[in-house]
Amino acid sequence: MIPGLVMILFSIVLPVIPNYFRHPAMLLSVFLSSLSLFNGYGIFLEWDILGLNLILYQSDSLTFPFAIIFHIAAVLVIIFSWHNKNLMEQMATLAYAGSAIGALHAGDFFSLFIWWEATALTSVFIVFAGNTLASRNAAMRYLIIQVSSGVLLLIGTCLMLYQTGNHNLTTLDLNSDFGKFIFIAFGIKAAFPLLNGWLQDSYPESSVTGTVALSAFTTKLAIYALARTFPGTDSLIWIGAIMTAFPVFFAVIENDLRRVLSFSLNNQLGFMVVGIGIGTELSLNGTVAHAFVHIIYKALLFMSMGAVLYRTGTTKASELGGLYKYMPLTTIFCIVGAMSISAFPLFSGFVAKSLIMSSLGGAGMVLIYFVLFFASAGVLEHSGIKIPYFAFFAHERKTSVKEAPLNMLIAMGIAAFLCIGIGVYPRYLYQILPYAVEYQPYTLDHIISQLQLLVFAILAFLFLIKFKLYPSEIKSTVLNSDWFYRRMLPGIGRPFFKMISNVIEKFYFNLGFVFNFLLGKSKKYNNSSFIKVTTPSFATLILIIVLFIMLLIAVI
Amino acid sequence: MKKNDLKKFGKIFTKYLLIISILLILLDFTFHRHAYFSIEEIYGFPAFFGFISFVFIVLVGKWLRKFLMRKEDYYDE
Repeated sequence: MIPGLVMILFSIVLPVIPNYFRHPAMLLSVFLSSLSLFNGYGIFLEWDILGLNLILYQSDSLTFPFAIIFHIAAVLVIIFSWHNKNLMEQMATLAYAGSAIGALHAGDFFSLFIWWEATALTSVFIVFAGNTLASRNAAMRYLIIQVSSGVLLLIGTCLMLYQTGNHNLTTLDLNSDFGKFIFIAFGIKAAFPLLNGWLQDSYPESSVTGTVALSAFTTKLAIYALARTFPGTDSLIWIGAIMTAFPVFFAVIENDLRRVLSFSLNNQLGFMVVGIGIGTELSLNGTVAHAFVHIIYKALLFMSMGAVLYRTGTTKASELGGLYKYMPLTTIFCIVGAMSISAFPLFSGFVAKSLIMSSLGGAGMVLIYFVLFFASAGVLEHSGIKIPYFAFFAHERKTSVKEAPLNMLIAMGIAAFLCIGIGVYPRYLYQILPYAVEYQPYTLDHIISQLQLLVFAILAFLFLIKFKLYPSEIKSTVLNSDWFYRRMLPGIGRPFFKMISNVIEKFYFNLGFVFNFLLGKSKKYNNSSFIKVTTPSFATLILIIVLFIMLLIAVI
Repeated sequence: MKKNDLKKFGKIFTKYLLIISILLILLDFTFHRHAYFSIEEIYGFPAFFGFISFVFIVLVGKWLRKFLMRKEDYYDE
């Protein structure tokens, strides 16, 4: 059976399982799915349908590490949400994780497309489960963007099949037509610059537990897909470098700490994209290793902020601070996550990021190397310092709150343990990477260099705080690329739409007038609704416009 | 617990951080630190780069507020 499918089946029967046994059942399904990890590499399931050969289950050295970490992430999410009785969110989470795992094992673009849309359709319910007006609106926008990505993937796949007669999941050339479609489809989910708005828009609107689930799968699935189809594509190096750099400025001024983490997620994806762009064995190993450790520490950071949200009702930096006294364990776990993402030696971020930096150094790419070096200081700023500082320290808190519930602490504890464990014993991580490469992250040169960067960046923070140069937290909205479709498009679209609808309304009004005029002399039909032309309603207007566009396309 | 716990902790933290940072710079003089690019091998370069980058990021971010910051209910209709 396809890995992950068992989780979807369990998700379907979840409503008939008594509340008390739902989470154990969810864990059981993940366990059953994880047994597939022992199957080894190869093609296990094919299906001939409509003259197409679909490879539904294949596995190799690239899918393997992703499959492991997706299962781990699913377990973490389930434990973290043990207290959550929201059935819709439970079902969506399990099916979402299952779809993401299924997608990893697709061997052709059509199967990938099916899973690609499945992750979109299941995860939208997680955003929806945020259960506020903002989250519902964000869910609709999220759905449109995610499904568009799937549609682009489908167009690319069909073009590819038409032009080459092949639809297997292989490396593609960006110069081909279909390559461009597929590239953009992946780029949307990987949150490329300007295609990133959905991420910071939807993730922070989800529930306490939902964000943790969301942070793990969609974007890393896109990274996997890019690593499989576009390794060594030069433009990815630049795209990735921009992705590492630009979110750090947004993260400085963002007030909602979960949104800060979403910007940080974007920046981390940049490192992985650069690794794919370089395309050497070392750099691809770096990308996979980074995705692996990133899922754990990002989940840990989102969990700690989830715990804060659960206990205080907010993650706004302007309203938090001083929680270290009341949530000491959460504070410690958050700091472990913060040190991991900042790549302190002995933490997991260090052993993964080093691979990418070394491959950049080895390839002699000075500029990109220093952009990423600069972005590393940025990571320290927003995830390493801002998150723990404004949530747990900053100033004393007046009202007391309780420590996070036990299940949350256990989930955070496991994640923190993994962060340090991988940092101290990186060889286990290196063993499961796609390529066998000898690499030693802990050289004295490297440790000193990294520590100098980090320690002096922290000094800079203290310096800025001391001289009151650090921007204070202000309740605000920071404009991001979602502005284009939340403000600019409606801004242009509404008057334009109004103009067209006026024209159509006038046309129907006059049509009615003509009818009346022609038939007006006949007393029989006067004032009869039988021939009366009504002006169309709003929905009808849209239908008319759509029909016109279709006609236009047909003519062309 | 007293009110100035956080301040006390901050002072201790700053003190140790300063000691560590001085040690890190001194360490640079004890051996030749290899790096991929010669500029990174200059004494204390990563430290300098980290400090400057951090200040740059924060100040540019602060400046960007002029263009990017809107009211909290900006998107609410």
